[in-house]
This record gives sequence, C-alpha cells and structure tokens, in this order.
Amino acid sequence: MSARRPHGQSYADVTAQPAQAADSDTTPAVPADVIYKLLAFTAAMAIGPIGVYFLTVNSVFGGNSTYAGITAAVVANLVLFGYIYVAWLEDQGDRQVAEQAKSKKAQ
Amino acid sequence: MADSELAPLFAPFFSFAGIASAMVFGAGGAAYGTAKSGIGIAGVGTFRPDLIMKSLIPVVMSGIIAVYGLVISVLIVGDIRPDQQQSLYKGCMHLAAGLSVGLSGLAAGYTIGVVGDAGVRAYMQQSRVYVGMILILIFGEVLGLYGLIVGLILNSKS
Repeated sequence: MSARRPHGQSYADVTAQPAQAADSDTTPAVPADVIYKLLAFTAAMAIGPIGVYFLTVNSVFGGNSTYAGITAAVVANLVLFGYIYVAWLEDQGDRQVAEQAKSKKAQ
Repeated sequence: MADSELAPLFAPFFSFAGIASAMVFGAGGAAYGTAKSGIGIAGVGTFRPDLIMKSLIPVVMSGIIAVYGLVISVLIVGDIRPDQQQSLYKGCMHLAAGLSVGLSGLAAGYTIGVVGDAGVRAYMQQSRVYVGMILILIFGEVLGLYGLIVGLILNSKS
C-alpha cells in the first residue's frame, strides 16, 4: 500500500503535476565508443571485402579476378580477427576496472 | 547466333543458376547463423551485459559467409559476356562454383548458428569456454572458406 497517493489528492491532481525530473538517469546504457566501434566494424564488413575486390582487380592484379577474390576473402577474415582482438582488449579493460574497484573496497 | 552442340543457347542458364545459388544458399546459411546465435546473445545479454561484445563473434562470422557468396557471384558475373556464345562447359563450371560456395556456406552458417547459441550460453557460466568456442567457430567457418577456394579454382579453369 506504499504506492498509494497522499490523502486529499485526486488522480487528476497527481497527473497534472510535472514528472519528477530529479533522479532519472538519462545516460545511455551503452557507451558511445562501443557504438562507434560496432558501426566501424559494420561498415568494414559491408564495404571492405567487395571494395578491395573492385579496387585491386584491375589496378593490382591486372584483371585476374581469382587473386582479387582471394584478397577479398582475406580482408573479410582480417575484419573478423580485428573484431576478436578488440573484444579481447575490452575484456582486459573490464577486468582491470573490476580489480581496481576490488582493491579500493579492500582498503 | 548459331546453336551448336558445344555451345547451346541455354548454356548461360547454368551460369545464372550458379550466381543465384551461391548468393541464395550462402545468405540462407548466414541468416540461420545470425538468427540462431542472436537468440543466444539475447539470452546472455539479459544476465551478463558485459559479455555482449565478445558474444557477437558468431554474428560477424555469419557475415563473412555471406561475403564469400558475394565474392563468387561477382566473379561469375565478371566472366559472362552477353555478346558472345557461351559454351556449355563454362555454364556448368559456373554452376559448380556457385553451388560449392553456396551449399558449403549453408553448412558453415548452420554450424556457426548452433555452436554460437550453445557457446555463448556456456560462456556466460564458464569463461574458459571462450577459446574453445572461438576455435570451433573458426573450424566451422573454414568449411565455407573451403567452398570458396574450390569455387575460385573452378572459376579459373575457363
């Protein structure tokens, strides 16, 4: 019953009041740098391999599309390993933050 | 254009069938891998939001499967000339290249989906699963890469 409104106030009074804006947390749940990282990897995956194919097929490999196709596949896998590396770095950072918080608590 | 035994008029049909099958089957495998591992990631993210970034790796791998289909499709398209008569040999070769990439991409995407779903859920409870999960995912994805290699070699035999 703790959620009941105080005496002497009607439902209309309560709804007419502006919402309490004091302690609402509006910071996004996902930090901006993670969003930028994911956007960068999405763009790299979407345009990287096929872009490299069309860039290299005539200029580097002289029209040999097999080598250009191999290069495109290699670029796609490079993006994957770049993603694994970034995710691994992020895990290390999280672990350091957790250890620092733990040592602060111990003090 | 004259119709001949070695270069019948329907020969380009097989080339286009190869292009379509590479893209359709490869994208089908990538879609299954993305959706199935996405279910697992959504399940993990509600309990351990800090693991989402590392759990997204199966999704990236499924994207690579679709890129393989895209690459072989572009290669076959570059090999087709509308103003020349195409031999039946070339058409069948394109169909073989497209089918090998597409169907091995389907297999790889299915593997990535099942392993990704179970792997990220296990990783939520035991962090040592991670290296094993990545290795299994890489071996699953290599299936698609083998298909691409065979497709590229086939495509160079014209």
